[in-house]
Parts: sequence; structure tokens; C-alpha cells
Amino acid sequence: MPHPRKYLAMAKASLEVIFVYRAGWTVNLIGSVFYVVAMFYLWQTIFLSKPGALGTFTWPQMKAYLIVAFILNSTMTWFDEWQMGQDVREGRVAIDLARPVDFQMTRLASAMGPIPFELSSAITIGAIVAIIFGGIAFPSDPAHLALFIVSAALAVLLKFSIIYCVSMTAFWTTGMEGVSNARMAVQNIFSGALIPLVFFPDWLRALASVLPFQGMISTPALTYLGTMDGPTTAFMIGSQAVWAFGLLLFGRLLWRSAVKAVTINGG
Amino acid sequence: MAARLRHARWLVYIYFRCLGQQMKAILAYEADFVILMISAGLVQITGFLFIWTIFQRIPDINGWTFWQVVMMMSLIFITEGVGSLFFEGTWRVSRLVYNGNFDMYLVRPVSPIVQVLAGAVGFNGLGNIVTGGALLAISLSNAQVQWTPGRALMLVILVVSAATIRVAINLGTAASVFWIRTPWSLVPFFVHQLGEFGKYPITIYSLAVQAMVVVVIPFAFVSFFPVAYLFNMEAWSTIGLLTPLVAVYCLFMAVWIFRFGLRRYESTGH
Repeated sequence: MPHPRKYLAMAKASLEVIFVYRAGWTVNLIGSVFYVVAMFYLWQTIFLSKPGALGTFTWPQMKAYLIVAFILNSTMTWFDEWQMGQDVREGRVAIDLARPVDFQMTRLASAMGPIPFELSSAITIGAIVAIIFGGIAFPSDPAHLALFIVSAALAVLLKFSIIYCVSMTAFWTTGMEGVSNARMAVQNIFSGALIPLVFFPDWLRALASVLPFQGMISTPALTYLGTMDGPTTAFMIGSQAVWAFGLLLFGRLLWRSAVKAVTINGG
Repeated sequence: MAARLRHARWLVYIYFRCLGQQMKAILAYEADFVILMISAGLVQITGFLFIWTIFQRIPDINGWTFWQVVMMMSLIFITEGVGSLFFEGTWRVSRLVYNGNFDMYLVRPVSPIVQVLAGAVGFNGLGNIVTGGALLAISLSNAQVQWTPGRALMLVILVVSAATIRVAINLGTAASVFWIRTPWSLVPFFVHQLGEFGKYPITIYSLAVQAMVVVVIPFAFVSFFPVAYLFNMEAWSTIGLLTPLVAVYCLFMAVWIFRFGLRRYESTGH
């Protein structure tokens, strides 16, 4: 990045937009907690009726997994794809094209901007849920916590690179709602957001392991719990990085062919 | 009485004419239409996979079997689909009010509520109805239900009532924009999220959550109680019979709240 200050200013601007509509964002976040609470009750019932049903997971570990998944899921929502769709549809993307900045970096900056707000709200909500349900497991080793932070940061970058690639469809289709929903459906199942991947039957687990999505939830959550051994952790975090940067590059290629498809109305 | 009936028939006619125009508008974007349908199907398939994976580990959840839980989920999806396909307009109210375009509805000689309901078409609803319907059919064929003509008729009544409850909730919460002005459907979306609790048997929740989904926002009558009735689940099945009454009550309340809000409406630019 040749001019980091430009992008920092963009990130700040997009955070400020969130603050203007903070009531709306907060209500949205609180709304998403119902899903987590329903999950907690469901898993609690399963655990109480058959403690062995969680496999190698203890109940506090399972709760921690759900909370970590919730917090990671709260960063970068459908809003980024929707925004991209709107910009292309309404022709605002023409302004972006005229600016002397890198398009992908601009998008990354404005997607990253709201993260401090998203994270602090999600952690607060997550902590309240965790306390209501009797606490969660914490990393037993400070090294796990450090690795978790690295893995979580990579997870956010990976999520951006996937959203960026998907949002390129905005140049060919007008409605992003369907594309966004499809992306979230696939991501929810294969990232481990709905259920830890180890609970899957072999064929589904094999499929998940060759897709990039597991790096979004499963890898950081398992790193937090410290249930993977050293080499596995290193390999999983490494593959997160490879996917994240690989897809960033792929997104740049997509963008190159996408701008050729641009038609600006009223020009 | 005859005049009232004629008026009601005329409103239904107007509703379908408006909806028809919206359909044409959507079908102009063919790719969007296909993508929306497929995405709705994908969401349900992942939901099904989730429940299936859980039931690989345990035989039942609090005595509720796999197919019963699938049926609860399918009812949530089907009713959501009906809401999007035929009554998506409720989700556009906040934007209309925010832009000042809602005035348009008020100057036309048709009930604003009918115009709101016919205000948009969400084709993802068709995907939801088709896949949800398939899941419902599969779960019914796999579960032991003692079918009688009465029970079959009741199935139809229950599905219609469940859809009515969902639409009424959407309409009633959409009216919140007359008090809380936001460009997005803030309150409707918030309440919509409560539907998550409807996907599983309510016996797994604490009393407070149960009270919320039974009494405050009756999502339990969309999925749980109808399933309890069809499968004759002892104590719960009798309450399932109340579903049509709850639907009528919800619809009545939603229309009342919306009209009450309309009286407060001052248009924008004051």
C-alpha cells in the first residue's frame, strides 16, 4: 500500500457512518443474538440428555465455540456486498473508478472501518450470553490466545477476500440479495458456524476441508480452545493465510474483467 | 352486507393487479430471479443438514424426533416464503416513509394496507415455499401420523393460519416506522429474528423464552403447536387447535396497530 493514510481515512469515514446509525446497528446485533441463544438452549438440551453427544467437546468448550463463532460472524456482514451492489447499480462505482486509489484496498478499508464497533458490541453481547449460561472455557495457555488472535485476524481478511470475490457478481447481476444469501448459506455450513466440523459425517468433513470457509470460524475457534496439536495448528493457520491472500489476488483478476462489463447509466 | 362483500372482492382484485405489476418488474431481471430462488433453497438445505447432523448423535431432542423437528423448520420456511412471495411489501414500508413516497399510497382510493401488502414481490419466497413444502411432505411421509379426513383438513388450516400469523407479525411490526423513523426495517427485522426460536421444540427453552414465543410474539403457533397437534403430542396438541384463533387475533391486532400508526403519520419534510 503506497499511501496508507488515504486508506486509513476511508476506514475512519466508514466507521463514522456506522456511528450515525448506531441505534440501527446495535438493534441488528441484538437481533442476531436470538440465533445464538437458540443454539445455546439446543446444545444444552443435547448435552444434558446425552453428555457423550458432544464427542471430545466439554460443555464449557462447546459454549466457548458458539461465542467465538458469534463474535467472528458479527464482523463484515452482508452490508459490504449490498453496498457494492448499490454502487454498481446506481453508477457510483464510476467515481471509484476515477479516483487515484486502488479499488480493492478502498473496499478493504471501508469493510475494516466498522470492525472496532462490531467487535466491541459483539464481545459485550457475547459476554452477557456467556454469563447467563454459566461461563465459557478460556484458553489454557497464553500461547493459544496469541495464536487465536493471529488466526482471528486472518479469518477476517479471508472473509473480506471471499466477500470481495462474490460482490464482483454485482457487475453482471443487479440484485445482490440472492448472491449474498447463497454465500452466507454455504459459508454457514462449511465454516463450522452452525456446528463444529468434527461432528460432520466423513464425506461432508472431507468437502469442508478442501474449501476456504473453515478458516473463517472453525480454525480460529479450535485455536482458541487449543484442541489441535502444534503441527495441525500451524498447518491450519498457514492454509488460512494461503486462502486469504490467494483469494485477494483472485479478486483482483475478477475486478479486471469486471470493469469491462461496467455500463454507467446517464453518461 | 352485500356491499361490504363486493368491496372486499374489489380489494382482493386490486391486490392481485398490483402484485401482477410487481411480478413483471422482477421477471425483467431474469438472472436475479433464478439466483434468489436458488439461494433460498440453499439456506434450507444447510438448515436441514444441520438438524440431520445433530440427530446423527442423539435419537431425540426432549422426546421430539428428527422428522418432527424438520417439520417445525419447514413450517418456518414455508410461512416465511408466503410472506416474501405475496406480501414482501411490508418490508418496504420503512423505506417508503423515509423517502416520503408513502404519501403516494394515501392519495389513492384504495386501503393503504392493501397497497402495502401488494407493494413488492420477493421471489426468494417461491424457493422457500418449494423446498419448505418438499421438506414438509417428506417429514409427513416419514412420521407416523394417524390420518383422518379431519386431520388432513386441519393440516391445511394450520399451514394457512401459520402463514397468516407470520404476515400479521410483519405488518404489525412494519407499523413501528410511524413511531421510530429509520430507513431500514429495524423493528420488523428484530422481531423476525425471534423466529429462530420457532425452529426447535419450545420445551428446550427457559420459561421466559417460552412465554415470549407463545404469548408476546406467537412464533410457537407458526411451527411448534401445529406440529404438536399433527403428531398428537399429549398436552401440547390441544393448544395446536387454537392456531386459527391466534391467526385471526394477530391479523386483527396488526391491522389495528397499522391504522393507529397511520393516524400519526405526518409525511416527511415537516
